[in-house]
Amino acid sequence: MSAPRNRPEIVVEGFPRRRPRWTEIATSADHKDLGRLLITGALGFLFVALIELLLMRLQLAIPENTFLSPVAFNRMLSLYGATAIFLFAIPLALGLFYYVMPLQIGARGSALPRLGQIGAWLYVFGATVLYVGFLFTPSEAGVNPLAPLTELAFLANNGVDAWASAVGLATLGFVLIAIDLVTTLRNMRAPGMAWRRLPVFSWAAAISSWLLLFIGPVMLAAIAMLLIDRNFDGIFFADGSGGAPLLWQHLSWIFYTGSYMLILIAALGAIAEIVPTFSRKPLFNRGAVIGSLVAIAVVGTLAWMQNMLTAPIGVGWMYFAMIMSLALIVPIGLIAFNLIATMVGGTLRMRAPLLFALGALAFIAIGLSGELSHSLVAAAWKLKNTTDATASTHFALVGGAVFGGFAALHYWFPKMTGRTMGESLARISFWTMVVGALLAFAPLFLAGGEEGQVIDAYKFFDGTGVNAYNLIASIGSLVLAIGIVITLMNAILSRTGGPEARHDQWGGDSLEWLTLSPPEPHNFDVLPDVRSAQPMRDIREAIAHRAGRPTEQPARESQPVA
Amino acid sequence: MAPHSPGTDQIDTLLWIGFVAAVIFVVAIVGGLLYTARRYRSERGAEPRQVRGGRGIQVRVGATLALFAVALFVAGVVFTERARETPATGPAGLQTASTEPLTIKATGQQWLWRYDYPNSAFSYYKLVVPVDTSVVLDLVSTDIVHTWDVPELSGKRDAVPGKTNRVVFRADEEGVYRGQAATLSGQAYAAMRTEVQVVSPDEYQAFIESQKTDIQTAQDRVVRLIEQGETP
Repeated sequence: MSAPRNRPEIVVEGFPRRRPRWTEIATSADHKDLGRLLITGALGFLFVALIELLLMRLQLAIPENTFLSPVAFNRMLSLYGATAIFLFAIPLALGLFYYVMPLQIGARGSALPRLGQIGAWLYVFGATVLYVGFLFTPSEAGVNPLAPLTELAFLANNGVDAWASAVGLATLGFVLIAIDLVTTLRNMRAPGMAWRRLPVFSWAAAISSWLLLFIGPVMLAAIAMLLIDRNFDGIFFADGSGGAPLLWQHLSWIFYTGSYMLILIAALGAIAEIVPTFSRKPLFNRGAVIGSLVAIAVVGTLAWMQNMLTAPIGVGWMYFAMIMSLALIVPIGLIAFNLIATMVGGTLRMRAPLLFALGALAFIAIGLSGELSHSLVAAAWKLKNTTDATASTHFALVGGAVFGGFAALHYWFPKMTGRTMGESLARISFWTMVVGALLAFAPLFLAGGEEGQVIDAYKFFDGTGVNAYNLIASIGSLVLAIGIVITLMNAILSRTGGPEARHDQWGGDSLEWLTLSPPEPHNFDVLPDVRSAQPMRDIREAIAHRAGRPTEQPARESQPVA
Repeated sequence: MAPHSPGTDQIDTLLWIGFVAAVIFVVAIVGGLLYTARRYRSERGAEPRQVRGGRGIQVRVGATLALFAVALFVAGVVFTERARETPATGPAGLQTASTEPLTIKATGQQWLWRYDYPNSAFSYYKLVVPVDTSVVLDLVSTDIVHTWDVPELSGKRDAVPGKTNRVVFRADEEGVYRGQAATLSGQAYAAMRTEVQVVSPDEYQAFIESQKTDIQTAQDRVVRLIEQGETP
């Protein structure tokens, strides 16, 4: 028996584009277009950040190198930090949320599309300001430019202003997108999509957005104060006139620590979608994973003073930071446990998304385990601002943003483009990246932990016992860069030339797989009635039941009505 | 780097505890991932077991992790408190510092450290302290944030303008200990190094006395030149 032909269908394929493509891109307020804008921008800036990283590693390949001047190195460092965090990691997470979350909750669009559009373009403007500024006078003040180095008296050119404007614009954009995400999640869920049935990645979107609503304005306030200090004779961070240099540290570290957590939450959310799909098992315990993601956002951000353990603050505050960062052991450990338990007894299809997801989890585990010693107050007195910190942070964030981001990219690429990414290139890229990341960052653990090599320095001295570590790290970062570029090339090539994807490419359980690949502008012809946390599985079963045959893919021309 | 002060001994012990904890976590998580990824391939041909975990196992795993975190916290507090203690001056140390520690003011500035000794002598770059003596450095800054870091003698501490931070140590052996500023402070940051020379109490006394006379002589000469109407 075949499927009945007279069920209601709305076929919407084949609408002609009325305007040129660039006009569509520039004026669209559709969450999918804006999500793709953010993701494309983020991946582009990943490439830029890699070049900056390689230039710095080239300078640090041999002791007392003169390849980059001190000023050039500091500019590269400042640019790398801003690019990697504000132009790559956060927008990649937000872009994925923006694209996927409305599909997952069964919405036909986002709740406040124009607000999200302003947000996405503010990010583009911020990026432009940063790199236009770079052509003239880039910032020299470092990844988190600590006051009062940023005061006019110490850096008189416009570099810090350009940095502050760029980062401020981008952060404002992120906050606006977060408002749209939160509103969409509250108002646009399909009938029956209760919070308890929300997919984990959408939960991650909700948690990250709420987190951004708290930390984003804090950063914006700090940047406003910085700009007032520099341009209107302000004294917020200047010592001697009632200002407080430590105020900048508190405000900025709240944001940086919070966005660290945001990147981890986004990555873990994506991994928690990918692992069950590719194990063909439900998540071991949804509630525990979601609860842990909430805990990471709250507890992790409250640990901001972990970055200030050598500053003149009371020892009580140091212990507070230690409690909060050690408390992270519980949610992170629980998530790792649940993901591993999900795989136990499953049937793993070791495709690219799962491969990158497992790599991401492993690197996040290494990075956060390295961070443990940075939480133990007295140990942090030795390790802070050594390359040990560089290693921990890069393991966790390269694991989260790059490996996790690539896992998500491979997973949702078929949905976004209608094509799958090349599997063999993905494998080559993955193993190159694993080797590269281990070579690039593991030696820095030793250089920092054993020999006390300091971070952010434009050179290191011969005879301090760190020559070999740095050379290996430089070679490793080149290998890592090659691996990353292979995946970027793979994405570009597969966009038009990849194997055609099915609408339900991986057999996922959430609603984005009910839409066409790529989805139509309105996402869903018919809104599904959600009855469980695995709506797509219910739909597949309903179709199979109705047709009296085992589950198979929905027809290409239209969507099944469930 | 081998510790040469009671405080850095404690720091090293705590570092070991942190390292062991990190290894346990990495082995458990990465090992678990590698094992399950190999063991449960779809090629083995079994149907996936549709099981979910109940609340009980989550509570047990969570409680185990929490115990681990609490143990680390307790270790962290114990060793931090020990590392914070001001050590007492030993028998080979400067005896005038037997009750009150020897207090030296260390001033960070772009891109040099200045040390002011109790007898109003001062030195740049090189700090001279007596061996086996309790030393307190009062860290201040005249411009921006700098971090004082001589890893063999002490943990690092920030010199923040408008605030005073403290470093305590008791060097157990004569010799030269090198350090480097550890917060980005502008162009010459990487070259902002310092050196602690640990000498016997007699040599220390001789050093600060001669430093004082040298500074006095130089200042007198400048004053004399100005009085004579010359530019010094």
